[in-house]
Amino acid sequence: MMPHTLSQVLSAAAFLLLLASGAVQAAFLLRRERRLDPFSHYLLAAAAALLLAITVERSIRIRFAAVTNTFESLVFFAGVTALVLFLYRIIAGRRLLPFVIFGGTVISLALLAIASSPIAPKEVLPPIPALQSYWLVLHVTLSFIGESFFIVGFVSALMYLGSREAEKKERLDRLTYTSIGIGYPVFTAGALIFGAIWAQNAWGNYWSWDPKETWALITWLVYTAFLHARLVRRLRGRVSAILAIAGFAFTVFTFFGVNYLLSGLHSYG
Amino acid sequence: MNALYRFFKSVKLAVTLILVIALLSLLSTFIPQSQEPAFYLHRYSAPLARLIVALGFHHFFKSLLFLVPCVLFFVNLGVCAIDRLVGRWRRKARPRYGPDLIHIGLLVLVAGALLSTWGRWEKTFYLGKGDPERLPLGYTLKLLDYRYEQYPDGRPKDWVSTVQVERQGKAVISSYPIEVNRPLRLPPLKVYQASFSRQDTAVLRDPQGELAEIHDGQYFEWREAILFFAGIESGKAVFERWEGRSRTAVYDLSPFQPIGEYIIVQLSSRELTGLKAVQDPGFIPVVAALVLVAAGLALTFLQKRGDQQI
Repeated sequence: MMPHTLSQVLSAAAFLLLLASGAVQAAFLLRRERRLDPFSHYLLAAAAALLLAITVERSIRIRFAAVTNTFESLVFFAGVTALVLFLYRIIAGRRLLPFVIFGGTVISLALLAIASSPIAPKEVLPPIPALQSYWLVLHVTLSFIGESFFIVGFVSALMYLGSREAEKKERLDRLTYTSIGIGYPVFTAGALIFGAIWAQNAWGNYWSWDPKETWALITWLVYTAFLHARLVRRLRGRVSAILAIAGFAFTVFTFFGVNYLLSGLHSYG
Repeated sequence: MNALYRFFKSVKLAVTLILVIALLSLLSTFIPQSQEPAFYLHRYSAPLARLIVALGFHHFFKSLLFLVPCVLFFVNLGVCAIDRLVGRWRRKARPRYGPDLIHIGLLVLVAGALLSTWGRWEKTFYLGKGDPERLPLGYTLKLLDYRYEQYPDGRPKDWVSTVQVERQGKAVISSYPIEVNRPLRLPPLKVYQASFSRQDTAVLRDPQGELAEIHDGQYFEWREAILFFAGIESGKAVFERWEGRSRTAVYDLSPFQPIGEYIIVQLSSRELTGLKAVQDPGFIPVVAALVLVAAGLALTFLQKRGDQQI
């Protein structure tokens, strides 16, 4: 068994950076004038760099993309989320509402906290035969990249429901729509398309109605309903926001709930 | 007819059906699938168990409860796809092909899935070194070698079955290593590394001196009882004695000990590889459908970006 101290040091450092970034953001949120602080997003970028460094370092050691157990998946997911938040901040700049980044930072911290808990063993282990496929790598990485955009959609939908100003509501509604608009095709490609091709290649069955597959499909259907609800004027706004929140709740259950509450093919993550 | 058309082209119907299918599928994941009705009676209260079985929740994805909404959705999607194309042609609106590609892709996907449901064939078989297996379309597969590799900590690293393939007496493939995630392609079949097993053999000698072989899982009758060969454990043959429906004895026997009227002469084991041959006429349409959906999603995204909606 290979040692995994470096993973733990790097993830602890990333955790502190995320915590610092969240604290700076919170301090600015509590001030009367609501404006973005000038530097907390660089802390997010640094945390993302450390987390992705864990993935690279472990990948080199196992000579395979290190996304094959719960710890590695969560580290990758938290890293991509921090990176997506940083990019949003850089691209959208001052137009972005500070609470969205703060909410995303809190979720990224939560993912990392679960990664460091005992439910996610940290050993550096090369993958078992079923996982030795680059279709699996595409399946996992693209699913998480899509899901990190769903995090942004989730936070802005929550804020939409909680806010009263019409102008702010409009910006939040748009942000929910655009983030899911980006996340949806990436998630579809990763979770459903590459997942099906991998399953066909590994077991000769592209779909077997295993609980995780069914839940991923349900998640996809909820986001599909979200995108179509926007075509019906009456369903915009509140209903859309509720669907975006439900979609994220399903995403989380598909990732965690299925593993611990239901049994099936995806026992490894 | 017009009312029916309007009903099926509605986006509200689509959203409703999507949510209904999602909700029912969700419920099904909490109910163990494909068990006998008795299983549900044992596990749930009688009225609930009867409801599960009556609605077909015990094999949900083959039940009318799932298939009827799916067929309605298929029609809904088809009408929407046609309506979008015709409507645009009438109004001469700016073309938006992305959603059309997605919708057509999904229609092809459903068609492919139905082809898989009705046309899929599969067979799992176990081979030891040198064993042949006849497959459809005149293929004969022979196992040349089988290897199980482990990591230093004992976890499985790979199962490799090296095979040779002949078709009507001619060699098609002289040697191909089938591994997990690396199936053998014999169009239109594919052969997968699916599992592994062990075959234990006991050679027995009868009172006349004739030799006979028995494999694990086989049995013979002796004096109103059945002697069942369970396999070899720590170098000893394990035989079970069954009378009626009860097991009355278990024997751990070494070579040259008697069992029934026989004497055990020799014990041996060999590793077997479990291969699965699959023919699925739905897979190519499904992949084509997925490519259409992916292209449609990409196009929709680019067009929305062009419109500044994203």
